[in-house]
Amino acid sequence: MSLSPEPSALLQGTLDLLILKSLASGELHGLSISRRIQQITGGTFVVKPGSLFPALHRMEEEGWTSSFWGDSENNRRAKYYRLTKAGRKQLEAESKRWSRISWAIAQALEVS
Amino acid sequence: MRLYVKARSFLRNLFLTERVEQDLGLEVHSHLQLLIDENLRAGMSRQEAQRAARMELGGAEQVKQQVRERRLGESLHSWITDCRFGARQLYKNPGFTLTVVLTLALSVGANTAIFSLVNALLLKRLPYAHPERIGTLYEHVTSSRGSFDFRTGVDGEKWELLRDNTPALISAVSGSTSGVNLKAGSRVQYVRNNRVSARYFDVLAVQPIRGRNFSEDEDRPNGPKVAILTYGLWQNVFNADPGIVGQTILLRSEPYLVVGVLPQNAITPSNADVFTPLQPSRSGEGSGSNFTAVTRLRDGMTWQEADAQINRAWSSLGQEFEKNSSGAKVTYYSVPLQKGVTDWLRPQVLGLMLAAGFILLIACGNLAALTLMRMLRRTSEVATRLALGASSWQIQRQFWVENLLLALLGGAVAIGVGFLALRGLFLLLPPRFLPVASVSLDARVMTFTMIVSVLTSVLFGMFPALVVRRVDLRSSMDGRGAVRAGGIRTRQSLIVGEVALTVVLLSGSGLLIRSLIHLETLPPGFNPTGVMVAKASLDDVRYHDPVAFRRLLDESTAAMRQIPGVVNAAVGLSLPYEGTLNDGVRIRDGQEAGAQAGTDLIYVTPGYFEVLQMPLLAGRFFTDADGPDTQHVAVVNQSFARKFYSGTNPVGRYINKDTMIVGEVADVPLSSSLFPIAPLMVEQTMYIPSAQVPGTYLGLIHVWFQPDWVVRTAGPVAGLTAEMQSALAKADPNLPASGFYRMKDLLTRTLATQRIEVALLGAMAALALLLSTVGIFALVANMVAQRTREIGIRMALGSTVGRVMLQIGRSGVSASLAGVVLGLALSAGALRVMTSVIYGVGVYDVTTIFVVVLTISAVTLLATVLPALRIASIDPARTLREE
Repeated sequence: MSLSPEPSALLQGTLDLLILKSLASGELHGLSISRRIQQITGGTFVVKPGSLFPALHRMEEEGWTSSFWGDSENNRRAKYYRLTKAGRKQLEAESKRWSRISWAIAQALEVS
Repeated sequence: MRLYVKARSFLRNLFLTERVEQDLGLEVHSHLQLLIDENLRAGMSRQEAQRAARMELGGAEQVKQQVRERRLGESLHSWITDCRFGARQLYKNPGFTLTVVLTLALSVGANTAIFSLVNALLLKRLPYAHPERIGTLYEHVTSSRGSFDFRTGVDGEKWELLRDNTPALISAVSGSTSGVNLKAGSRVQYVRNNRVSARYFDVLAVQPIRGRNFSEDEDRPNGPKVAILTYGLWQNVFNADPGIVGQTILLRSEPYLVVGVLPQNAITPSNADVFTPLQPSRSGEGSGSNFTAVTRLRDGMTWQEADAQINRAWSSLGQEFEKNSSGAKVTYYSVPLQKGVTDWLRPQVLGLMLAAGFILLIACGNLAALTLMRMLRRTSEVATRLALGASSWQIQRQFWVENLLLALLGGAVAIGVGFLALRGLFLLLPPRFLPVASVSLDARVMTFTMIVSVLTSVLFGMFPALVVRRVDLRSSMDGRGAVRAGGIRTRQSLIVGEVALTVVLLSGSGLLIRSLIHLETLPPGFNPTGVMVAKASLDDVRYHDPVAFRRLLDESTAAMRQIPGVVNAAVGLSLPYEGTLNDGVRIRDGQEAGAQAGTDLIYVTPGYFEVLQMPLLAGRFFTDADGPDTQHVAVVNQSFARKFYSGTNPVGRYINKDTMIVGEVADVPLSSSLFPIAPLMVEQTMYIPSAQVPGTYLGLIHVWFQPDWVVRTAGPVAGLTAEMQSALAKADPNLPASGFYRMKDLLTRTLATQRIEVALLGAMAALALLLSTVGIFALVANMVAQRTREIGIRMALGSTVGRVMLQIGRSGVSASLAGVVLGLALSAGALRVMTSVIYGVGVYDVTTIFVVVLTISAVTLLATVLPALRIASIDPARTLREE
C-alpha cells in the first residue's frame, strides 16, 4: 500500500489539472482516471472516489468534460468522460499556471 | 457557450432530479463493479475482492452525497426540498394548517375588503386624462371659533370672477344632479339630469363620440336649450339612433336639441344620464352658493399660480366675509378633485382601516400562540436535527419556509374572502352611494393582500424563531420536557393584547349601534304605519305656472283618494326623515321681533298633517280655503315656537311680509342642511299651503327637491303603487313616479351611512371577538393537554375536579380580565375621535361599557369552561400508569 496524501490536502486546482491531463490522451471512465493519475504521478497521488466523483461532475457542469455511457474492457457498463474544446483550453491554461508556480517554488527553495 | 452548458446542467439538476440521481447511482455502482473486477484479476477471492472494493469506494452513499453537495443549484434545490418537507408537515397537521389559514383568510380578507375601499376612494387615479391636473376649490376660514376647511360653494358672481380672472385654469361649474322627466316617443321616463357650464367636459377631458360639447353661447342665461346624452341613455332610450345629434328631445316638457353623445365609458362626478347647459347668472339659483367648481390646470402652469389668481379674483368677496364676521380670515386653494369628492368619507374609511389593522394584530396574537405551541411540541425534533449536525440556520429556514407557505395559502384564500366581503358590502350600499364608479380587487389590492399576509406571517413567525435559538439540546432530548411556564406567560400576554383591542372595537361599534338606535327611535311626531309615498319630479316647465301646479296637486290627490282602501291623500315638498329646503324668515313680533333667521320650509296641501297624523298643538291645519289670493298663512312646529316665541303660543303672530301663523304642530325628525349636526334632527320648521307658494319659487325648488305624494291606508292595499301611478297619470299622463317608498324606506335612506358604519365596524368587532375567544380557548385547552400528568397527580393527592378546573381556567380568565382593563383604558382615549359620528350618546356610555364587559366575560367564561371540562374525564390512575 502506497502512502497517499489526504484528499483534502490535494489542492482542488491540482486535482482538476490531473484529471484534465489524464483525459488528454482519450476518453476514460472514473476508475481508469484514478488509476491513470496514480500511474502518471508515480503513485504519489491516489484519488479516492469521494474526491474524484464530485470533481468529475463539477468539471462536466463547467463544460470542460462531457460524458457518455459505454462498455468497459471487460464488458461492464461504465460512464466515460472526455475532454471538450473548453476542457483542452482549460488544460493548457492550468498547465501553464502550474509550470509557473512550480518553477517559482523551485526557485524559492534553491535560494539558500 | 460555457453559460449555455452551465444553464443546461442547472436546469437538469433542478427538474430532472430523478434521472440525474439514477445516473449517479449507476455510475457509482459500476465503479464498484470495476474495482471488484480489478481485485479479482489481482487474484483475490470474490469475497475479499468485494470487501477491498467497498473499502476503497468508502461508502456509496457518502460518495453520492459529496457529489450532490457540489452540484450546481444545490442551494435552490434544498429550498425546494424544504418547501416539500414544509408542505408535507402542513398536510400532516390539518388542524393546525386549517386554523392558521382560516385565521389569516378572515383577518387578511377583512383588510383586503377595507383596503379596496381605500384604494378606490383615496388612491386610485380618477379615470380622466392627467387627473393630477384636475382640481376643485376649497376655502380655509380662520376665525375666533377655530379654523375650518371645506369645499367652496360657488354663486353666480364668484363663477364670473373665476371664469374671467384665472388664466391658469380651465374652469367649469355644475349644479346639483336632479331627476327630470324625459319624453321619448310616447313614453315618459324619469332620468337624472346634471346642468353643467360650457367647459365642463373640457376640464374632465371627455370628448363626445358624436357631436360636440356645449359652446359658450349655449351657456348664457336664456341661451338655447341643448342637451348631451350619455352613451347608456342613447343606447337604451334612443336605440343608438345614429342620427340623434340634431334631433329634438322633450325634457322637462321643453324641446332640447341634442348636440352630443358621450363615449361609453365616460364617468362624470355627477352620475347623470343627460347633461344640459347650466346657463349660470347672478340671479335665481346663482344668487346662492349652489354650484360646485371643477378646474383643470393649463399646460405650463402650477397650482400655486392658479391659487394666487383665484385669491386675487375673489379677494373682494373674502373681504366682505371678513368684514361681516370680524376676526375671520378666508383663503381659497385648489385640491385634487379626488380629494374634493371623497373627503367626507375619508375619516370613516381610515377609521375602518385602523379597525382592520386591529383585527390583523389580534390574528397575529393567535397565530403567534399557535406556532409557538407547535414549535414547543417540535423541540425534540429540532434537538434531534441539531444533534445530527443541522445548523441553526437550516432549522430556522425550515420554519420560515413553512410560515411563508401558510402566508401564501392564507393570502390566496383572503383574496376570496375579501371579494365576498366586498360583494356583501355592495348589497348594503344604496345605489350611487360611493362617489366612484366601482370598487374592484385590482393589482394594487392583491399586492397589498399578499404583502399583509407575508408580513403577518413574519410577525407571528418571529416567536418560534426566537425560541428555537434557545433550545437546549440535553433537556429537550429527554422527551416529555418540563412544564413550559415561559410559553404560557407569553401566550397570556398575547391574549391580554387581543382582548384589549377587542374591547376597543366592541366599544366603538357599541357606540355606533347605540347612536343608530337613538336615531331610528327618535320620537317620530307622526304615525308612520299605513303611509305610502310616491315621488315625482316637477322640474318641468309646465309647472312653473302656479295655476297648473295647483291643478295638478288638486286633481292627483283627489284621484288618489278614490283608490279603494285609501283614507286620505296629500302632497308635500318633503316628508319627515327627508332633506328639506331652507329659507330665511323674518320674525315680526314677540321677543325676537325683527330677527332674520333660517328655517326649514315645506309646502303642503291641505290634508298633509291629517295623512301623517301629526298632532295639532294649537290653532288649525290648512284648509282648501287657504288659496292663492287669501291671507298668507303658515303652520310652524314646536321648535319654531320655542326658538322664536320662547314656547308661547305662536298662533296669530306675523312673519315675513304679512304671513300669519295659524297653527302649531309637533316636531318631526328631518335631515336638515340648515345646521347639520346630526343626520336626523328636530329644528324650526315652517309649513305653508302649496297654493300660496310664490310663482318664482316653483321653477327653482323643484330643481332641488322632488315633492312627495302621500296616502294613508286603513290596511294593506294590493297593487297600491300601481293605483297611485295611475291616479297620477289621470292628472298628468306625462308624469312618471320616480319611486315608491314606505316611511321606513325613507328613514333607511337617510341613515344609510350610519347603517353601513354599524354593519362594517360591527362585523369587525364580531371577528375580533371570535379571534380572541379562539385564543383564550386554545390557551386553556393547551394547558389542560400539557398538564394532564400534573392534574392526575393533583387529583390522586385528593384535589377535586372543580378545584383543578379553577386552577387551570384561571390562566385564561386572568389574561382576559387584564385585557378588559387595558382595553377600557385604551377606549377612553381612542374613542374620543368618534364624537363626530355618534349622536344622542356620549363617548363614555355606561350601557355600552357594561354590555362590552358582559360580552367579554361571557365568552371568556365559555372559552375557559369548555376546554376545562376535559379535566373531569382525566383518570388519575391511568395518567400515572402512563408515566
